[in-house]
Amino acid sequence: QVSVINTVDTSHEDMIHDAQMDYYGTRLATCSSDRSVKIFDVRNGGQILIADLRGHEGPVWQVAWAHPMYGNILASCSYDRKVIIWKEENGPWEKTYEYTGHDSSVNSVCWAPHDYGLILACGSSDGAISLLSYTGDGQWEVKKISNAHTIGCNAVSWAPAVVPGSLIEQPSGQKPNYVKRFASGGCDNLVKIWKEEDSQWKEEQKLEAHSDWVRDVAWAPSIGLPTSTIASCSQDGRVFIWTCDDASGSSWSPKLLHKFNDVVWHVSWSITANILAVSGGDNKVTLWKESVDGLWACISDVNKGQGGVSAVTEGQQNEQ
Amino acid sequence: RSRSHPGARALTGSVSDPAGGAPGSSRVFVVRRDQDIYIQTLRKLFNESHGIFMGLQRSEEELAGKSRKAQLVQVSKNYRSVIRACMEDMHQAAVSTRDPALQGQYSTQVSILSAMELIWNLCEILFVEAAAAGPLLLRLLDWVRLHVCDVDSMVREVLSSESPSKHKLFWNVVDVFVLQGRMDEARHLLSKEATANPTSMNMYKILDDLMKKMPMPSLGNTQTLTELELKWQHWHEECQRFLQDGTFASNPHMESICKILLGDEDAILEKKELMTTWYHFLVTRLLYSHPTVKPMELRFYAQSSMDLFLGGESSPEPLDMILMAAFEFEMHQVIKECSIVLSNWWFVAHLTDLLDHCKLLQSHNLYFGSNMREFLLLEYASGLFSHHSLWQLGVDYFDHCPEYGRVYLELHIERIPLNTEQKALKVLRICEQRQMHEQVRSVCKIMAMKALRNNRLGSALSWSIRAKDAAFATLISDRFLKDYCERGCFSDLDLIDNLGPSMLLSDRLTFLGKYREFHRLYGEKRFAEAARLLLTLMTAHIAPCSFWMTLLTDALPLLEQKEIIFSAEQTYELMRCLEDLTAGNVDKQKFQEDDVETTKVEMLRLALARNLARVIVKEGTVEGS
Repeated sequence: QVSVINTVDTSHEDMIHDAQMDYYGTRLATCSSDRSVKIFDVRNGGQILIADLRGHEGPVWQVAWAHPMYGNILASCSYDRKVIIWKEENGPWEKTYEYTGHDSSVNSVCWAPHDYGLILACGSSDGAISLLSYTGDGQWEVKKISNAHTIGCNAVSWAPAVVPGSLIEQPSGQKPNYVKRFASGGCDNLVKIWKEEDSQWKEEQKLEAHSDWVRDVAWAPSIGLPTSTIASCSQDGRVFIWTCDDASGSSWSPKLLHKFNDVVWHVSWSITANILAVSGGDNKVTLWKESVDGLWACISDVNKGQGGVSAVTEGQQNEQ
Repeated sequence: RSRSHPGARALTGSVSDPAGGAPGSSRVFVVRRDQDIYIQTLRKLFNESHGIFMGLQRSEEELAGKSRKAQLVQVSKNYRSVIRACMEDMHQAAVSTRDPALQGQYSTQVSILSAMELIWNLCEILFVEAAAAGPLLLRLLDWVRLHVCDVDSMVREVLSSESPSKHKLFWNVVDVFVLQGRMDEARHLLSKEATANPTSMNMYKILDDLMKKMPMPSLGNTQTLTELELKWQHWHEECQRFLQDGTFASNPHMESICKILLGDEDAILEKKELMTTWYHFLVTRLLYSHPTVKPMELRFYAQSSMDLFLGGESSPEPLDMILMAAFEFEMHQVIKECSIVLSNWWFVAHLTDLLDHCKLLQSHNLYFGSNMREFLLLEYASGLFSHHSLWQLGVDYFDHCPEYGRVYLELHIERIPLNTEQKALKVLRICEQRQMHEQVRSVCKIMAMKALRNNRLGSALSWSIRAKDAAFATLISDRFLKDYCERGCFSDLDLIDNLGPSMLLSDRLTFLGKYREFHRLYGEKRFAEAARLLLTLMTAHIAPCSFWMTLLTDALPLLEQKEIIFSAEQTYELMRCLEDLTAGNVDKQKFQEDDVETTKVEMLRLALARNLARVIVKEGTVEGS
């Protein structure tokens, strides 16, 4: 049973496109077509506006929190082709970096697992994906994958920094050799998996199953099992769960979670990856879990709000 | 991991009506599952059951047979007493509050807890204790007596009245006693009736005698089932005879009691309102028709009892289905139904764990290959983690999930907000105890970053040392040194003085430690040692080039001392360092334009030259001549 515990009145003047809880669930970042990014303190059911960040010149599509070990850092991307990285240092939130290397709206931003350092992936309507890596002293290095998706890229999601199969075979004490991977979804109806090889990003896999634009992809957190899982959702109303059973990542097979009656905008995994939250134009948020026989069952339904539900994230909130 | 967080909440962004765009319609809803952990009065339930759970995990497995069973039954009773204690608290809360909404909430909780205890008690009898035919009936009678309380107030009312036998509900109460097998109490009441109505003395004596002689199963081994069955058969026939002879014909109440004693279903069913539930009916039926019922036979009687009792007027409720599943010994069904109906995992997690310890659950292969016990414990513990203090209980539960407990703990513990140093230390201790090195590093890094943001350099440094983070330690050491250059003194001296071997974590940190040592030596007037150290810092390249100027400036007072501290060789070294510094300076132009800098360099050169002059003389002088 899911119940509403808090309603945050953001005072955004226009549509809210994304809402993200920070790592601990104590803060909420929201972004809107009114070009602002707002940060709220939501502890104990309250809502205190901490920051109202202005800097974008168009609707802001997504926000993403970095891992707290790097400090309080938030990334936002917008229709104005910019990606802005905000940082809270000694008091107020300030813009710490602005990236303007895209020719078109930047639709999605996603921070890599903290083990890889501070790296941000950005997907844009110009079809390219850029990777911004923090190299120290306020400097960011940029790598670009051009023509990642024809027409445009709508979503990016990093794979967890876990060596597949590590739950079964205990890894040796040395630092494991991570292979950096992330998934992207685009207007070419494809989900693509990218892999870093010799400091270059290469397309590793092309996953075809959707018949319309892919709106969101989410790579499930891993508990060390040899299986990797990705959820993707699309304009065609379908949500697919892709699984790959071998460590080399070569064969992915899709399973249809459900066909909804309207566009599905977002998918998001819980921390231990046993629950998937799905939101869509049918104004509903549903929670799904895989059952014993491998079929996905809807375990809950949250019906709230007027108009479409545009953003869903599984978050944690602590009473402090 | 970037967009997944501990799965306790979800957010939904609501789109405001584009046409209207009214303020206040741009809202974000925060929704949550597992609300129950936030109910204050249930806190005791979670805490105390945690203690029982841990005790069970650690209990002696070597105890075999009877003693093990007795131990497990005790654990079960402990859990039930915790539920009852919680019920009491909840009831008190309901009674004492004046807020009707709260009262409603508490009352609901009380009935839920009551249902849980009812189910648990039955499971204890059937599964944990696995009562055999004979004692089984006695246990079921106790169970019914304990849980069917609707008639209690009526009973009290009659018993406390001046002359109970004249009370209009008198016979109801007698019936209640008979239906619940409370023979002595029934007989006692009846005796009052007999004294009040001497005409029925005869009937009363016979009935009383029958009730006294009724054979009951015993708990000890004083009689075998066969003996009991024989005795019971005879007694049953005797009752039959009296009934057929018309002994009770003139008193319909007594006649109906006799029929009940004979196990007449219709007679028993007539007293439906006094029994209130089908399972009470079941037990009464068993008492008066099959007292030696075997556990495996229960299912048939249970099904028919429910059908007869409900009689097609009402359909079974979830609670009924759960109890039915228990009577049918379908343990998995019981757990499944409870999981669906209850709003949190507490009940099923603990019950399943207990049943698992009784070795009653075959492993039921689920999606991630884990078994049901572990699955439920993982769900329950995960739910605890979104609570600001109950998460600590969750840690223990994860510890006892051999397959996935550890990895679940790793994922969850990183999400505990580290708002106080105390909390961070708690989390750290837990991670260190379990050799979760990644998490330890992560926590230390987060705390170091936090401290740095708040300008608490000492704290930041000690956290980065704990995290063995060389890069960060270097960064912080630089900050310390920068601070020193600006203010002329160090903060957090204690920390730097006691670095010990951790100084070696990073070059910069080593320099910081050694530099501080230099200051200490100087302060203790151990100038020769201080001088040596200072020189080593430059020549061994421990000091960063950017700091050499400061070091040389520090050397000035030593050069100006009355006694000669630096030897000739050392002075040459210093001069060389100075030349290296000024020659190799990239920003030479700036250097030359900066008056302060040039003055410093000149002063140094002068002091070095003077020292050199003095020392050459001194070293060239033969002592004593």
